Amino acid sequence: MPATDYTYPSVYFAYLFFFLSFLLAVYFFIRSRKDGYWEDKGEDVKFQVFQDDDNTRRTP
Amino acid sequence: MFKKADNNALWAIGLSLVLFFIGGIITTVVPPLVDTSWSKPFENHDPAKGVTGKLVPLNEQQKKGRAIYVREGCWYCHTQQIRTLLADTKRYGWRGVDAPISTPDEFVYDDPHMFGTKRTGPDLARVGGKYDTQWHRTHFRNPRDLVKGSIMPAYPWIVNNPEEFNALVAYLQNLGRSKDWRPANDYEK
Amino acid sequence: MQPQFSKAEAANAPTGAIIHDDATAKWFLVSSVAYFFIVGIIAVIIAAKFVWPDLMGTMSWLTYGRLRPLHVNGMLFGWLLAADMGLAYYVIPRLCGVKLWSEKLGLATAALWNVIILGAVVTLLAGLNQGWEYAELPWYLDILVVVAWIMFGINIFMTVANRKYQAMYVTIWYIMGCILWTAFVYLTGNFATLFTTGTNQANLNWMYVHNAVGLIFTPIGLAIAYYFIPRASSTPLHSHKLSMVGFWSLAFVYVWTGAHHMLHGPISQWLQTISIAFSLMLLIPVWAVVYNLFATMKGQWHQLRESVPLKFLMSGVVFYLLTCFQGPMHSLRTVNAIVSKTDWIPGHAHMAVLGCFSFFAIAGTYYAVPRIWNKALHSDSLANWSYWMLMIGGLGFFTTLWLGGFWQGWQWNNVSIPFIDTVIALKPIWIVRFVSGLMMFTGIVLFAYNILATALGNPEEAAV
Repeated sequence: MPATDYTYPSVYFAYLFFFLSFLLAVYFFIRSRKDGYWEDKGEDVKFQVFQDDDNTRRTP
Repeated sequence: MFKKADNNALWAIGLSLVLFFIGGIITTVVPPLVDTSWSKPFENHDPAKGVTGKLVPLNEQQKKGRAIYVREGCWYCHTQQIRTLLADTKRYGWRGVDAPISTPDEFVYDDPHMFGTKRTGPDLARVGGKYDTQWHRTHFRNPRDLVKGSIMPAYPWIVNNPEEFNALVAYLQNLGRSKDWRPANDYEK
Repeated sequence: MQPQFSKAEAANAPTGAIIHDDATAKWFLVSSVAYFFIVGIIAVIIAAKFVWPDLMGTMSWLTYGRLRPLHVNGMLFGWLLAADMGLAYYVIPRLCGVKLWSEKLGLATAALWNVIILGAVVTLLAGLNQGWEYAELPWYLDILVVVAWIMFGINIFMTVANRKYQAMYVTIWYIMGCILWTAFVYLTGNFATLFTTGTNQANLNWMYVHNAVGLIFTPIGLAIAYYFIPRASSTPLHSHKLSMVGFWSLAFVYVWTGAHHMLHGPISQWLQTISIAFSLMLLIPVWAVVYNLFATMKGQWHQLRESVPLKFLMSGVVFYLLTCFQGPMHSLRTVNAIVSKTDWIPGHAHMAVLGCFSFFAIAGTYYAVPRIWNKALHSDSLANWSYWMLMIGGLGFFTTLWLGGFWQGWQWNNVSIPFIDTVIALKPIWIVRFVSGLMMFTGIVLFAYNILATALGNPEEAAV
């Protein structure tokens, strides 16, 4: 095959890379289901920002 | 895995470093090992293979001039690279001869590198031999005397110090000369 | 440094209440705000030199080549990084539910940081410039920076290790990531470069320059945004999951992109291509973060009217989106052939560092300072003025430089135009840049005055 812009080794590297990224994305999605991130309590961490209000009083 | 990175600081640290080092190593350690032209000084005596010439290290005076170039921050406004763009080779050519494209093997002895990022002034990669010493003297004393509209600062303290001035000019005249790109069109000849 | 509670009040505080000392945060914030003002003067002088090149031109230490590194290093390390560190000292203990591990170590860090910045002023004006962008400081100051960074890191990591809540909020990851990545990025840019030459050195240098923004200022800036946007609007973050996507893709993608500073230049083509591909992938972390922060404000945008920190924060997010759209786009070879090395680049750099990350730091400072000193902000109306001055000045600065950059690039690509004509053509751009620079400087003055007046003012003046 003649060398074109679409036959550089870096292009094949990119295809490989996108394929691996896709596999990783699927894996991480399944993993996040397993780890409970899609359950009711999965988003609890974000309320930590406000925890400070409960145990600190700055204004007398 | 996620849960661990979320709840365990050591896991989070480890994982973020692993991800960082994949790209970090491939883009910093690997390239000079793969591309040997980065460390092999330019040398070509066969006109059939393109422009001829040989890269030699700077002499003491040129090194001194280079140190002044670094000290005064010339490199903030002047790049030193002829890019793979027609506009660069034409604009920074001289008297009808196109400037050869800069290649890594021309910069093997450069420390610190002076490639630069900003062209407030013109590129200097091939400036060597274009203007004579008197031109540089007048230009450094006040650039606007020679180039109307220039915004380059004046450098009287360099011009008034013959040692510094001669060193700086010696450095500039050597720029881009490792490639012998216009043998018949030099001001010196 | 007195605790703001009387003994009786402290006794009445709920059990387990933590009274944060915040001495370190105070010192970092006050000194960084002072540097913001001082280096701002230099910034205005530099902008003026583009219009009047002979201005102060006969003194070697006041030339453009000496002042520019001082402007860059002063703003990056004197103002922005110091303010970010101060805010980290404020945020981390609160998110961990414990006191800072060691205020003594923190105060020592603050003192050392000021020594470094003062050293930088002296060495850079004297022309002791190493010759690498962002890494101009001589090696002995570099070593002090590393020591200060280790002290900062130990303090933060020990606080995190002692934390009360097991799960870590996104801000904590970003600050931890910042500390670690910075360590390696800084070593690469300031020490590994000492042992290399030419293209190899340039590659390490650009890896550092790019990641100084991408893996130092981005993570710590986003850490601040992730904390202060929910706090200042009393609205929980949109999604914890999405914040993970943003963080872990940033950790992987950013470091690859250094070579895009050398596109078309004397560096291997394959490395350029890799850097372009990864520059485009930067859209993933950026859009994940930006969507998350915008979605947090859904239905809450009206709060921007009342809150200066929120104004700065959300404008910062918009600038972040714009900057990180520009970045991938001008790393494309065709676009790069026009804008690279033109005035577009300072326009882009200022939007990232001033428009986005400095806005975050300013917002954090406006939010944290009244709470640290337990006083009302000196003046809300001055704070609003500082916002509009910085915003309008900033927009004027960015947009004219982008236009000027494209203009300049097109002229350069037409080789029949002599170079000097492309310089003269930009004069109107530089006049607008100077005027917008003056506006931004006014904003900085109002901000610095407001913060210092709050810190030094009478507690009785507290209105709320």
